[in-house]
Amino acid sequence: MDAIRTSDLTKHYSATVALEGLDLTVREGEVYGYLGPNGAGKTTTIRLLLGLHRPTRGSAELFGLDAWANPVEAHQRVAYVAGEPFLWPAMTGAETFEFMARLHGGTDRAYRDSLVERFELDPRKKIRALSKGNRQKVQLIAALSTRADLLLLDEPTSGLDPLMEMVFRECANEAKGRGQTIFLSSHILSEVEAVCDRVGILRAGRLVDQGTLAELRHLSAHTVDVSFAGPAPALAPIPGVEVEHPAPDALRLEVSANMERVVEALAGHPVVTLTSREPSLEEIFLHHYATASAPSPDETAGGEAAAVPEDGGRHTATRHT
Amino acid sequence: MSDASHPRTAEAEARGSPAGAVARRAFRDARVRTLAFAYLFAIYSYIQPVGYRHAYPTLASRVAFAQAFGNNVGLRFLYGYPFDLLTVGGYTAWRVGGTLAIAAAAFGILAAVRPLRGDEEAGRTELVLAGALGRRRSYLAVMAAIAAGTAILWLAMLVGFVIGGLPWGGSAYLALATTSVVPVFAGIGAIASQVAPTRRIALELGGAAVGVFLLLRVVADTAASLAWLRWFTPLGWAEEMRPFTGARPVVLVLPVLATIGLLIGAERLFARRDIGTGVLPARDTADPRFGLLSSPSAQAIRTLRGGLIAWAASVTVFAYILGVVSRSVSSSDIPKNIEQQLAKLGIGSILTSTGYLSFVFFFFVLALCLFVCAQVGGARREEEDDRLETLLALPVGRIRWLTGRLLVAAGATAALALLAGAATWAGAATTGASVPFAQMLGAGANCLPVAFLFLGLAALAYAVAPRASTGIAYGIVMVSFLWQAVGSLLGAPQWLVDLTPFAHIALVPAQSFHPAPAAILVAISVACAAGALALFRRRDLLGA
Repeated sequence: MDAIRTSDLTKHYSATVALEGLDLTVREGEVYGYLGPNGAGKTTTIRLLLGLHRPTRGSAELFGLDAWANPVEAHQRVAYVAGEPFLWPAMTGAETFEFMARLHGGTDRAYRDSLVERFELDPRKKIRALSKGNRQKVQLIAALSTRADLLLLDEPTSGLDPLMEMVFRECANEAKGRGQTIFLSSHILSEVEAVCDRVGILRAGRLVDQGTLAELRHLSAHTVDVSFAGPAPALAPIPGVEVEHPAPDALRLEVSANMERVVEALAGHPVVTLTSREPSLEEIFLHHYATASAPSPDETAGGEAAAVPEDGGRHTATRHT
Repeated sequence: MSDASHPRTAEAEARGSPAGAVARRAFRDARVRTLAFAYLFAIYSYIQPVGYRHAYPTLASRVAFAQAFGNNVGLRFLYGYPFDLLTVGGYTAWRVGGTLAIAAAAFGILAAVRPLRGDEEAGRTELVLAGALGRRRSYLAVMAAIAAGTAILWLAMLVGFVIGGLPWGGSAYLALATTSVVPVFAGIGAIASQVAPTRRIALELGGAAVGVFLLLRVVADTAASLAWLRWFTPLGWAEEMRPFTGARPVVLVLPVLATIGLLIGAERLFARRDIGTGVLPARDTADPRFGLLSSPSAQAIRTLRGGLIAWAASVTVFAYILGVVSRSVSSSDIPKNIEQQLAKLGIGSILTSTGYLSFVFFFFVLALCLFVCAQVGGARREEEDDRLETLLALPVGRIRWLTGRLLVAAGATAALALLAGAATWAGAATTGASVPFAQMLGAGANCLPVAFLFLGLAALAYAVAPRASTGIAYGIVMVSFLWQAVGSLLGAPQWLVDLTPFAHIALVPAQSFHPAPAAILVAISVACAAGALALFRRRDLLGA
């Protein structure tokens, strides 16, 4: 059974389109990274998944249960961390844990105590006396210690320091190891890269790209840096390859075609060094947003199709043909 | 800021100074409350002269009325000390000075705590002080906003009096006497805001101050030998200014000096401390207490506990005193025709112990209606501050949550109503009055159908229009409460007057309980609550 399945999930707030035609499937045990800039619709998606807001169109299911019609049954298998910690200011951390544990059921108290230590939280402090990062820890500990089948995490590390962010990554990987499903909404790309199996990229309410990190990389251009003994040669145009001249004796090739053609073209030239690297998630991500605002001249020069399809939704491998 | 050699300053002034921006913001934030109070003040001020003239058209009837009321301790307890009951102005000054002065005190506390401690707790003060505005100027800007709000209340009263037929000059002075209470209590609220680390504690301190000063006035007004105590409470100063009854404007010096002293004191405290803290230390760590955490309703009781205890304590104290006072109400020397005329003022057979108690419980109904509005407002606050999102992301259903909140509110209301009955009985019993205990509990329970009706209506407003719901709920209560008084004065047809639920309350214990209207009120309230649940289930959660 799928942990999350949405079909044509759409939310409009009066005239604003917050989410449009989202078809998303997250399998059980999968760690799914949900990327998008501020205002892209990440939080809206999670509110719809939790049945806090009602879809304008379409539906969302958690473990086969409709998110809007059966929220209570669905939430028994879900733990949620909101992007902002909204807790009861007069209660201490320990009291908050107890309250949420009693409402959720199935909390692993021993694991919770170990999490309190690892996140270095003082549970005797009242929520109002905690900084934002520390309040975020309270939420994270409460959610992780439920050992829920599905963790819905909305920018869970906002406000955490880098050390605590590492602790979070460890915990997320432990949860993954136990077979828990994680839906991680974020705009911290290194975090998504470190823990996620599959990634979806959201822009202006539409899912514009989706796949495993390897697939996304495969679909994107590799960067090949070449340096020469002497001035760089002028290469004949190769379809699917863009050429830049960062220095007189160097070339940078953005290769979205077969690498064989590049090797053929370089043969016979005095190559000194040749390095090839995959695009980082950041480059993939920025690529989507850069092309969203205005198509860059490099891309049109390569003769490629426009990067972002206007139908939104189920965009797959049509971008680089 | 007016230094002309600074071109940038002149430019900034053209766009409006930062202090002006803070003052306008504070005034805007308070506008709903200010308008609600202005409405209440205007209507109440209008009703008094019109009602008196209507009920006592001749001098003879006024003399009889004054004789009957001159020594009525029960009424003095409620309305303050009457200096002159033979003139329209004197009567109005008595009624307004007694009742609206208390509302003015509450207004002063709220007006100060919300922009001072409330904004500081929310982190907005920090933002303001991080800008080009010093503490003193931002504090003065807030005070300017409160002064503007006070001026609006003064104007509302003036308009009410003048339309009610009182002369301009006397009306302006009476309105000034009553609104002189506002700045003093705003000063108390300002001190409380410096002392308390949270908004809630500041409001509790301010509420306690209102209670103490009211108690002082009550003692001074009811016990002739202790009349000098009036000089020790701002509520008494408003009486001692004696509008329409030999005005003594010199007394105005007292509220002016007190206000200046309090405001300077609060400013000194504000200048010394760290932003985000109070003079009283906040208890930031505590050993965990795991009671009342088993359900959202239990946790709601836990969160509301402090407020519920404060309500219970105030209701107990006032009901007990009312019980004590009821003993000294006597009708032996009241002519029958005067009693009939009293009924025209809407105060029934107030001159007997049971009649007086019935009348007093009418005010408890109002208090309980305001209490249920506050309860539904508390539920809305959970949603507004997004904590409800945290809660409903757990396996907690919306219906279960809202039903729980409404039941907690209903239960607390019932407890307060019965407490009022029991405390009144205890007060009466200590002075040897023989009111049956069951009858007083009945008087308490008799308050409930109307309170429940407003609980249902407030819940419905919350489900339909969450952002406006708290204002709507309080508004409906106040309009309904004044509807009857205004309606009968304007000679409105009975069916129109009957639209307000307050018209259907039996005056228990003087009258017997009316089961049919009570059942209808409860049925409507249940229907409203059911509708609220159904609609709340279907809407999006809505933050601030």
